[in-house]
Order: sequence, then C-alpha cells, then structure tokens
Amino acid sequence: MKLWFALIALLAMSDRAVAQSRFEIGAGAVWTGGFDAGGLDALETRNPSTGTSPLTLFGTSSDVRPAIGATARAGLFVTPHVEIEGLAEYSRSTLRTAILDDFEEATGTEAANTIVTFVFGGSVLYHFGSGRFVPFVSAGAGYVRQLDEDETISVTGTEVHGGGGIRYRLSRHLSLRADAGVSSRDKAIAFEEKRRVLPVFAAGITYRF
Amino acid sequence: MTRVRAAAVVVALVLSVPALDAYIKLGTRVGANLVPIRWTAFPIRYFVTNRDVAGVTAPQLQQAVASAFATWDAVPDVSIPSQFVGFTGTAPLSGDGMTVIGFQNRPDLDRVLGSTSFTIDTVTGEVLESDIFLNSLFSWSVAAGGEAGGQDVESIALHELGHLLGLGHSALGETELFGGGRRVLGAEAVMFPIAFAAGNLNRAPRADDIAGLSDVYGGDQFRSSTGSITGRVTKNGGGVLGAHVIAFNPATGKMIGGFSLSADGTFTIGGLEQGLHVVRAEPLDDGEVGSFVDPTQPVDLDFKPAVYSRLVTVPRGGTAPGIEVKVTPK
Repeated sequence: MKLWFALIALLAMSDRAVAQSRFEIGAGAVWTGGFDAGGLDALETRNPSTGTSPLTLFGTSSDVRPAIGATARAGLFVTPHVEIEGLAEYSRSTLRTAILDDFEEATGTEAANTIVTFVFGGSVLYHFGSGRFVPFVSAGAGYVRQLDEDETISVTGTEVHGGGGIRYRLSRHLSLRADAGVSSRDKAIAFEEKRRVLPVFAAGITYRF
Repeated sequence: MTRVRAAAVVVALVLSVPALDAYIKLGTRVGANLVPIRWTAFPIRYFVTNRDVAGVTAPQLQQAVASAFATWDAVPDVSIPSQFVGFTGTAPLSGDGMTVIGFQNRPDLDRVLGSTSFTIDTVTGEVLESDIFLNSLFSWSVAAGGEAGGQDVESIALHELGHLLGLGHSALGETELFGGGRRVLGAEAVMFPIAFAAGNLNRAPRADDIAGLSDVYGGDQFRSSTGSITGRVTKNGGGVLGAHVIAFNPATGKMIGGFSLSADGTFTIGGLEQGLHVVRAEPLDDGEVGSFVDPTQPVDLDFKPAVYSRLVTVPRGGTAPGIEVKVTPK
C-alpha cells in the first residue's frame, strides 16, 4: 500500500512538475494506405473484318500496396495547446500490375516494382486539455518524393494532410502518440497522374525536453 | 521484303538480309558485323510507273505514295524528305539506278500484295536504289475511307515504304488459321507482315514503327529522350533464339517489340519512353518465321509466352539493368 501511495505521489508530483521545455521530438512507425495506380490494357488495332473492338493482348490492373515506414518529428509548443512540428517520413511499398486475360495465356500473372517514398513537411497541432490523455487535431503540408527500386524514376510533388490523434503521457518527458488522418498527394509513381487521398496512421513515442 | 495477304509461302524478290538487334531494322552483313541499311542522300528521289490499274490511275497512285512518304516523314525528330521525280514506263526492277514504285501483274505471287527490293552499298549499308511493286493481280482502291474488296493503296504503300526506309517486319500482331492461311486478328504496327483484309485502312504508324524508324534516322534528341531494355530470354537455363519480346507501358498503352537474335537469347528493345514497363516474351508463331528473322537459324518456337515478374524501369537516354525472362516449354 505504501508503495502504491508512493507511486501516486510521484505521478502527482510529475503532473505538477511545470516548466517543461517547449521542445519535443518523436519517432515511430507509419502506415499509408494503398491506391489504384491506373493504367491501360495492351491493345492491338483490330482487323475490322474480325471484330469491332480492339484486340486485347493482355489486360492490366495496377495498384500501389499500403506502405509501411518510419517517421520522425520535432515540435515546438508555441502555447500550452498549440504546437508546430516538422516531420520526415520514409516508407516502402509495391507497385503491382496484375496481368489479366492474356490472349495467349502467358505464364506470369504479375509484375511489380518497389516504391520508396520520402515525405518532408510540417503541421500545426491543437491539443485539448493537459491531462494524461490529450487528444489533438492537426493539419499541415509537405513535399513528397518517390523513387522506384532502381532509382531511375523520381517523382516530386506536394501533399496536404489533416487528422487527429491522442497522446498518452508516460512520464514527465515521455508520451505515446497515435495519429490518424488523410494525406492528399498530387503526384505518385503510378500509371495515371491525379491527386489521391490516402489514409495515414502513425504511432510512436515522443520526448519533451 | 514482301507483304502477304494471307500466309503461305512468301516469295521474296528482295535482298534477303537478317534483322538487327533492337527491333526490326534491315541490315546487311559486312564481315562479322551487321550494318543497318539506310538512306544517306536526301531527298529520296522516286519515280512512279505510268501504268493505271482498275480503280487506280497513275496520278492517284502517285498521290497515295506521296501521302505515305509524308506520313513517315512526320515522325517526330526524323527527317526523311522525298521527291517525286516523274512518271516512268520503267518497271520497278532493281539495278537500273532508279527508285521506281508502281503496279506489276504478278500472278505467280498470288498471296503477295507488294514487295520492296534494294540495291545497297554492301560496305556502308547505304541504299542506292529501292523499288516497290504492288501486285495488280489484286483489286486496289484509293478511296479515302476504303472500298469494299479493294486493297488500300496508301496502307500497303506505307508498309512497303517502311521497308524502303530500312525497317523489317514487326511481330506485334495476332493471327488465326483461316481458309488455308493466316488471317490477322489485330496488329499494332503497320510493319506487321500480313495485311488487314481488303477494304480496310491501316495508314498510321504505331509506337513500334515510330521507334524503328527513329532508331534508323533519329538524332540526338531521340536517343537522349528515350531508353532501352536489354536482357536474355532463357529456357531451362539456355538462351532462346528468335523470341519476340514486347515492352508495354501501361501509362501510355504503347507497345514496342524486339527479338532475341543470338543463341544466348540476348535481346534489346529501344525507343522506349522513360517509365515502368511490362515485359512479355512469346514465340514467333503469328506468321512465317522467315518474315521476321533468318529462317535458317534454329529459331525456338517451343515455349509458352511469359510475362517477366518485375516492372522494368526504363531511364531516359539510358538502358535498364539487364533482365532474364525465363520461359518454359509448351
């Protein structure tokens, strides 16, 4: 019982411990959702005497699989509730093209390539409350760079993101942090260029000085 | 080189030359080397025979030929100007110093719509003269939209002029056995050796044709803006000779082909835009083997078409790392 009281007292002291630094760093894992990569079928011009639609040598269906990676953050609390942070993210995913309905029933049903993604950006966070569990919302923008596995193709674009999350304070300095949100990206290594909105989940640990 | 209406025996009136690596160019062997044949003196000065055939006058033939020349000349970053010199009563035969295009009645070639022959400098590969005949055994048409029962002069002239400029046959097409020969189901190159049925048009070069012509006549712009894929086609660990290898870009829908032309199965596909490509190898079973490669070579037709497991990244102005496309026996 004494030990229990002692722990409560310690945590209470920790809660009361003020004059925390305004700076924070963090790191964790990130998961980014996959998407349809577009793409066309391999078509040949039909001999009009044998039909009207193009002859399909083979069809394709391409998608980018969900990406798993690591993220690092550095933040500055400009008020007790408002934080601005910079982030860097690295992840790997696979661009996969399924080969469908090959005219000559070719062996091999899939072709793939690894895509590496870097994101560098910034966010503004607003924290609700100051207890052990602190929910927050965030929004920001960044720069996205993707490379194929041979580092032959690079794509550079922008992204905007928004979402929210929660912090769980472990100690005066350490917290667990979970984020959920969406990232809207204007470019990607894919077969169709368009803006895509991707779900993003992250979890990690933060250290506030 | 000849264009056949349906398969069967292709009678070649032309210089028989092997194709080179990297597509469908024609070439000549100089010592141990293959040299691509090409024109070096421009404009290409040509005559048209003054002979009318049913449905097509000599001036109409000349207009169709001029239009086909212009189509090839319109390929970006390529300049192959031509000049119509005049009509002639001379038949399109090799060795007279004149490039002549015209009709000839060749009932002995009852499956050949047209044929191109060359006189070349066997040291440099320079074309000195080239003649094209269109077989007046068939019905012909110059109607803008095609005419039932008539072979389109401009479509066939475009194909034969492709040969005249140094292109061999493309294998980007599918056929079926039909009426004792082969019938085209679809093709993605005007240089496919078997024509569409009479009454249909095929007047626009595709990516494969353009890549081939650009490889022969294109300049630095073409070479710096496109890339290539090299590799080997193998079966049971050994090379496959005579495989047709296609690079397909799902972003653009463009297909460009090449051939494995050595015993170790080495192939090159050039003229590709930067980007990710699906690579697929198949046997040369949609036409006479001799339409594409030297038929005296042990061309391997006993394997299943196969798609390579990676999307191959083509760099701009460079070559993708070598790949190995493994195929299995049928």
